[in-house]
Amino acid sequence: MEVDGEDGRTQNQLRPLACSHNILYRAHGSASWSLRTRTLRKQTGQIDNLLKSYLMRMRPWLNGNKEALEFKFHHVWVWFRYSGLPLEEAYEMILKRTLQSICHLTINPNTTTSIIIQVINDDSALLSCAINAACVALVDAGIPTKHVAVAICCCVAKSGCKMKAFAYLAFPNSVHSVLPERSSSMQGKPIEHGIVTSVTNGIMSADNYFYSLERGRAASVRVVRVSQEELATALN
Amino acid sequence: MENKQFSSPASFVDSTVVPGDVVLDLSSMTSQTIKLGGGLRQDCDAISAMKAGTLRFSKPNKYWIESSQKRYVPCVEDTILGIVVDSKADNFLIDIKGPAMGFLPVLAFEGGTRRNIPKFEVGTLLYLRVVKANFGMNPELSCTDASGKAAEFGPLKDGYMFETSTGLSRKLLSSPTCPVLEALGKKLSFEIAVGLNGRVWVNAASPDTIVVVANAIMNSESLSGAQQIIMVDHLLKNIQ
Repeated sequence: MEVDGEDGRTQNQLRPLACSHNILYRAHGSASWSLRTRTLRKQTGQIDNLLKSYLMRMRPWLNGNKEALEFKFHHVWVWFRYSGLPLEEAYEMILKRTLQSICHLTINPNTTTSIIIQVINDDSALLSCAINAACVALVDAGIPTKHVAVAICCCVAKSGCKMKAFAYLAFPNSVHSVLPERSSSMQGKPIEHGIVTSVTNGIMSADNYFYSLERGRAASVRVVRVSQEELATALN
Repeated sequence: MENKQFSSPASFVDSTVVPGDVVLDLSSMTSQTIKLGGGLRQDCDAISAMKAGTLRFSKPNKYWIESSQKRYVPCVEDTILGIVVDSKADNFLIDIKGPAMGFLPVLAFEGGTRRNIPKFEVGTLLYLRVVKANFGMNPELSCTDASGKAAEFGPLKDGYMFETSTGLSRKLLSSPTCPVLEALGKKLSFEIAVGLNGRVWVNAASPDTIVVVANAIMNSESLSGAQQIIMVDHLLKNIQ
């Protein structure tokens, strides 16, 4: 999120990111993604937005048709607000569509991949955190994917930090390539200018939306670097 | 964001790649035949990575992505440890930690005929060889080597089996001998079977030895060679 924050960030700064993977023993792949807010002056309770995402084993279909990807969204700490089911179902559906578009689903026919997202702490920007964590967990498990999706939550705020609207945006990561620049683009634009998912809430003008897209793309560079460094340190 | 341009595919070899990276450009290598191993996918003229890992190249023309997972993808001629799940008329169903159950034909033993079919209980641990691993089908396994001899395949009695990642199993089976196994072998005597699907079986005369060996192997995954030797010395000092 990029907002004038009480934690001293300017309008264009990202919250500090942290990512780790392979944290669970039983799951085929797991990742934890957190967006940290520095200590707030008021006592509001939640400090970190920490998400764990873990992949259950891929099960062979024993009988009948099942979905290729199934999701469960768990809030660990739910007493502080009413978490009605529709919100979680909406998140599950968005996650499912996003991840379905990046997985090669035809590689393993007749298997179900279960992805469980566990919310440790919710301090907004939940969906972008969930998408990032789920992507790192997929890569950690070795599930073949086309590219890694990177998600950002972008806020449009009036001056005085009152939020008007926000958008969750997910982009494909930029790729290192041996191809000459021309051929790795789709319809004249580099591949990282595409967009995988966009979910908006509130009222914003079209200009604001496109501005958020630009800021989101710029921010996704940093997010990609965090997850790539994490994966690279494990491989070395 | 820039796409980095490289003039030759050798630039990506032995370096870390993430899913989506285009590692080879076929339009510049028109007269060669290239063999793609695991983790690589062809999209028209570009070969892109599907997994995160290190790109490896072996002459003359094999490329693959090396990575370590908890899930096993069956490959022909791999030696693995499987657990019997069920027995049918023609096959045993074996769990090999992969996307599908393996089938072990009841006759795939040395001197196997319809009269002397072995009786394996559910839960028996077997050391097996993968004979067929086709896409979309259950892999076929065997308890003999290619020429039909038993060659140490078959059920493993006693001992202790634990699970590791596929990368660690490959390290344990690499030659020259993995440092942790060499260091353990100098002081202790034990028997070990490593399956490329991420299962390791250890047997020794006393349970203490089995536990030490198992713990040493499990700890050695993220350590370098020298660190493994130090870790083993530390463990052995504590029990003697």
